[in-house]
Amino acid sequence: MSKVRIAQLSCGPEYSGVQKEIDEAAAAVDAEIFFPDLKLADIRHSFDEFGLEVRSPDLKLAIARAKALVEGRVEADAVFIATCFRCAEAAIVRNELRRYIHEHSRLPVVSYSFTERTTAGTLLTRMEALTTIARRRALLAREVQQGLTMGVDSGSSTTKAVVMRDNEIIGTGWLPTTAVLQSADDAVAQALSAAGVNRDDLQAIGTTGYGRFLVGEHLKADLIQEELTVNSKGAVFLADTQRGPSTVIDIGGMDNKAISVQDGIPGTFTMGGICAGASGRFLEMTSKRLGVDITELGPLAMKGLSRNVPMNSYCIVFGTQSLVNALAAGSSPEDVAAAACHSVAEQVFEQQLQEVDIKDPVIMVGGTSLIQGLVRAMGDLLQTEIVVPHHSQYIGAVGSALLASGFIKGE
Amino acid sequence: MTAYRPRYAGSVTRYVFVESPDMTPSDLAIRAYEISQGVMIKETCFGLQVTGKEDDVDRIVGSLRALDPAHIFVKDRGFPPGDPRRCRANLGGARPGYFGHEFEMGLIRNISRGLEAIPGRSPDELPHPPTPSKEPRLDAARLKKIIESQES
Amino acid sequence: MAKVFLYPTTSLILSDLVARFGHKPLSAALQIRERIQTAGLESPPLQITPEEPKKGLRWAAVEVPSGVRGRMSLYGPMIDEAEAAIIINNADYSFGCMGCARTNELIKYLVRKRGIPVLDLEYPQNEEEGVEFVAAIKRFLDTLVGGPQ
Repeated sequence: MSKVRIAQLSCGPEYSGVQKEIDEAAAAVDAEIFFPDLKLADIRHSFDEFGLEVRSPDLKLAIARAKALVEGRVEADAVFIATCFRCAEAAIVRNELRRYIHEHSRLPVVSYSFTERTTAGTLLTRMEALTTIARRRALLAREVQQGLTMGVDSGSSTTKAVVMRDNEIIGTGWLPTTAVLQSADDAVAQALSAAGVNRDDLQAIGTTGYGRFLVGEHLKADLIQEELTVNSKGAVFLADTQRGPSTVIDIGGMDNKAISVQDGIPGTFTMGGICAGASGRFLEMTSKRLGVDITELGPLAMKGLSRNVPMNSYCIVFGTQSLVNALAAGSSPEDVAAAACHSVAEQVFEQQLQEVDIKDPVIMVGGTSLIQGLVRAMGDLLQTEIVVPHHSQYIGAVGSALLASGFIKGE
Repeated sequence: MTAYRPRYAGSVTRYVFVESPDMTPSDLAIRAYEISQGVMIKETCFGLQVTGKEDDVDRIVGSLRALDPAHIFVKDRGFPPGDPRRCRANLGGARPGYFGHEFEMGLIRNISRGLEAIPGRSPDELPHPPTPSKEPRLDAARLKKIIESQES
Repeated sequence: MAKVFLYPTTSLILSDLVARFGHKPLSAALQIRERIQTAGLESPPLQITPEEPKKGLRWAAVEVPSGVRGRMSLYGPMIDEAEAAIIINNADYSFGCMGCARTNELIKYLVRKRGIPVLDLEYPQNEEEGVEFVAAIKRFLDTLVGGPQ
């Protein structure tokens, strides 16, 4: 298998001491980073033509390299855009280049703002997604699940398993992640039992999520794939929007994903979030503080008005403080629940949705998509009707089961 | 974390670039090989790199510069020659510093002209430092007059 | 022989002329060489580790991007050491070490703040400007202590 060639457009990683981390993350998924070759005259010409008058020479170089990729003067399989965190000039370039490449080419692109603390581990899933898109376009084009397959999503908060037969979900399993392998085994047992089939009957298995490698090896999975491509696939499959553009939002327990999808394949995506204040974790804390089960938080929030309670969960500690203050000041649990949902939606909107192109339908998936108050808050912010497909909390497992059917022998 | 052990510790590398009507980079390289005495010489697009002990490198660089003083230019380099971390073959494209060389080599004939002209002129005849251009500002009173003349 | 800070620090022209006229050019290459030739933890390509942006805190606060601080860990010591400086003000296409405009603004400011002799120039666009450029540098360097009088 030849290496996937990822073109790097960047300013600052060599001087932040993180170029090695970028190279390592790429090498871990059998890809290589390269720098599109240009001449000085190309740089000047392309920079002038692009029309974004930045001053930093390395950003000018990044712009010229992006143009060379889009115009086909340099060939690549994927693009990685990286600039320093907290640099406004670079953030503008990063956004515009990401958009430019997405609109004018089929190259998958991911952008990232690093600090000196960025590690290869942080970048790994992003790099893996880039290589999956480059390498497995044919597999990702699969729209129908065939045979009897299982998908397991070993997430940071919960583990999910789904058994599918002939394009239908016939069994599910779900439980909080404790010991990774034990949780996976238990979820699998639940799903098999619900489906009424034996482990030996399964024709293929796929795994995804944080624990995908460990669980994949344990289950002898046919497909081990990161959650960005798998969730995109699962989302458009369940929402029945496999063709055309869509946007997938997955607010997870530890981090969030926002993915611009075209025909079921991610074009651009972001992952992460600055603080758990922008994740499902904050909603879990809110429900605990309100003394309700997480499943009750959504309906509660639907009865409240978020604007009645000032809350900003940019930081989970300050967010929790606002929560406590609001309750102490006599705010109703309904309003507090609504405010918490609004705050998380706002963080995701501000931190991540600016980095992808929002195109309808917007599909929310993952466990948090069951919290109606959060879905409503996101819909209000995006001014659109959000789609929450059935089985949305099983998205990764469904995507895995669907894609795994591509590995059934004789396929 | 991998331990790093430097190669060529204690050596210096200098670029020797040539932009001359009388000498090509390969002419320069041939002359360098003749006097290298074991010091490492590597050809590049614009000239060559000389790597070795500082005194040896300076001796060679000095001899080479004497061949065509106004058209041979010297600069330090941080990396030893052919270092995989900076090599175009490994990076897929030129390292960023290359473009800086490309830019300066594009106007270096003007510097050569300066180097040739200066010894022939007495210090008093030498032109004054060019000052960085400042945008001339239009006097407010003058702008007012222009506006008034347009309105009338 | 005076230590002369160069801007851009990667300039072949400035490095050559300063050495040619008898002074010591402080160029980026010297800082890179020091790192490339020092054993430690591997951090290719420049052997700048995540520790360098932390060292850069001496010149720029923590809210300044890591790339600026990492670069300042190269240039800060050179600026402190410099006895004179030559600045080319229209060096818009110097990449890599000089690739960040914010760092470059800070470098120029810190050089000027030191109160050392500074010569401001622009790249010569024709042969006559070339004569002016070289003459200006020679005249400037000749006035520095230790230079040929």
